[in-house]
Amino acid sequence: MTTMQRTYLRVGIVWVLTLAALYAFQVFYTR
Amino acid sequence: MSAIDWAIIGLYLLWIVWDGIRLSRDTNKVEGYFLASKSLPWWAVGLSVMATQLSAITMTSSTGQGYADGMGLLQQYYALPIAMIIIAVTFVPFFRQANIYTAYEYLEGRFDLRVRSLTALLFLFSRAMGTSVVISAPAVVLSVMLGADVATICVLLAVPTAIYTMYGGVQAVAWTDVKQMYLIVFGLFASCATLIAGLPNTISVNDAMQLAGTAGKLQAFDFSTDPSVRFTFWTGTLGALFLFLSYFGTDQSQVQRHLTAKSDDEARTSLFMSAYWKIPLQALVMIIGVLMFVFYLFTPPPMLFNRSHDDRVRASARAGDYAVLEQRFTAATSERGIAAQALANAKRSGDSAAIAASKDAFLASEQTVKGVRAEAIELVKDVTGDRSYNDVNYIFPLYIVTQMPVGLIGLLMAAIFAAAMSSIAGELTSLSTSTVMDFYKRWVRSDGDDAHVLKVSRFAMLFWAMFASLVAIWAVELGSLIEVVNRFGSFFYGSILGVFLLAIGWPRANSIGALVGLVAGMSAVAYFTVFTSVAFLWHNLIGAVVVFVTGMIVSELTGPRKA
Repeated sequence: MTTMQRTYLRVGIVWVLTLAALYAFQVFYTR
Repeated sequence: MSAIDWAIIGLYLLWIVWDGIRLSRDTNKVEGYFLASKSLPWWAVGLSVMATQLSAITMTSSTGQGYADGMGLLQQYYALPIAMIIIAVTFVPFFRQANIYTAYEYLEGRFDLRVRSLTALLFLFSRAMGTSVVISAPAVVLSVMLGADVATICVLLAVPTAIYTMYGGVQAVAWTDVKQMYLIVFGLFASCATLIAGLPNTISVNDAMQLAGTAGKLQAFDFSTDPSVRFTFWTGTLGALFLFLSYFGTDQSQVQRHLTAKSDDEARTSLFMSAYWKIPLQALVMIIGVLMFVFYLFTPPPMLFNRSHDDRVRASARAGDYAVLEQRFTAATSERGIAAQALANAKRSGDSAAIAASKDAFLASEQTVKGVRAEAIELVKDVTGDRSYNDVNYIFPLYIVTQMPVGLIGLLMAAIFAAAMSSIAGELTSLSTSTVMDFYKRWVRSDGDDAHVLKVSRFAMLFWAMFASLVAIWAVELGSLIEVVNRFGSFFYGSILGVFLLAIGWPRANSIGALVGLVAGMSAVAYFTVFTSVAFLWHNLIGAVVVFVTGMIVSELTGPRKA
């Protein structure tokens, strides 16, 4: 895996974590 | 606004012009002027990309939307990181290896001059109109807040930007974007801190979020599959994906940024700065709107946020009706504040019966406040004849000038100026580059030396700055007409992306296929806009797919690669 491919993977993981955090935020405060 | 705040705005304007000129290098060469001699580090390019995209409209309109409708708008940005990965893998290496100045130049090599000229023309038309809106929208709001006329604010936004952009080219734009981005981010955090500090002692940040959540302001995900709903998870991830691919991948105002990077990898890394930070930054913008909602639960809000309309109604024959509405509004907001405090207390106690009762009371009082405000807005529409009246864009600027301390008001106003100027500068540079490279050098005179090309480029920049400013000033009177023109401009986004996808993704595509596909794509988007209620973010996907499929079929039927 090249450095740039690892970067793409990192961007994808951060994207999923960001959306998950936002969703958790929504669920927590709209219960 | 105090003299100190005006002085801060004045100092900011002087400093940004001086700084833009100071940091310019190699502006006597075409490559230095348009591409910064491909010398910029990734972080400067990344911040410049973000600053160009974050306009003053984002700061005023998105915060207002956060106040009025909550965080739903945030969904529009969910596809951005994925779009950046696709652009990094596909468009970036194609453009950089083609050794070009404009994105449309690539299409001449791939198809022919007609395709290049048509796409560049569509870009010039839509971007010029877009630039006038980037000037006029904040100018209208700032003119009401600062008590100056719209033309003066348009001049204050456009002239300093035109000076440093004309002098320093893309380098001046990129380096001033970096400073402006720092100022914008500082302004956003300062606003957040001021809003939190302005909450009553009895309300914590957690209470504030609980209240906002109860009022439905924290819905950052809507999984509705109704295609007419503007912002859902699906429009944000599928429809907006094509919007971002088009904007960051094929729009000259953004392509020119990654062409200035030192290497392909630095260009890619610069895009990933937006991929990492755009959603959190936009969430911060929306949270400011949400916090303003909570702030005004405990501080009496104005019934209308546009003070000029407010004044006109007070001076009209319906002033009596308006006064009655104001009394009802004051009573309703007071009742809502008490209900909000009761709900916060109940949530803290954990008593489920008290929570249920106080939640119902809070939501009922919120509906009453909304109802009175809706009546006031109808009254304004009757008195002023402005049927499209909407004061959402005035909420944040009014908060700044009425609730923030002296000094911070000036800094926040400077941050709104910075957001507008960084976008205007990027647009002007790209308009000038496309005018000179796609039209002047290709159709008028191709043998001019660097000095001649730079002279024409600066003239083109001046022309577009004047054009956009004049349209911006007229736009205030044109009103809905300029909105129609901009909607017309949005027909092109998905379709232009379709042409690039065809160029890169279908080796046997030819120029006839590209031209027929482009017309078919724009027609399809026009049809969906006029005859259906499909949300606008889907139009980008529709345009791109229709161009690609039509172009592919026509190319296969007409044969060789070039016509």
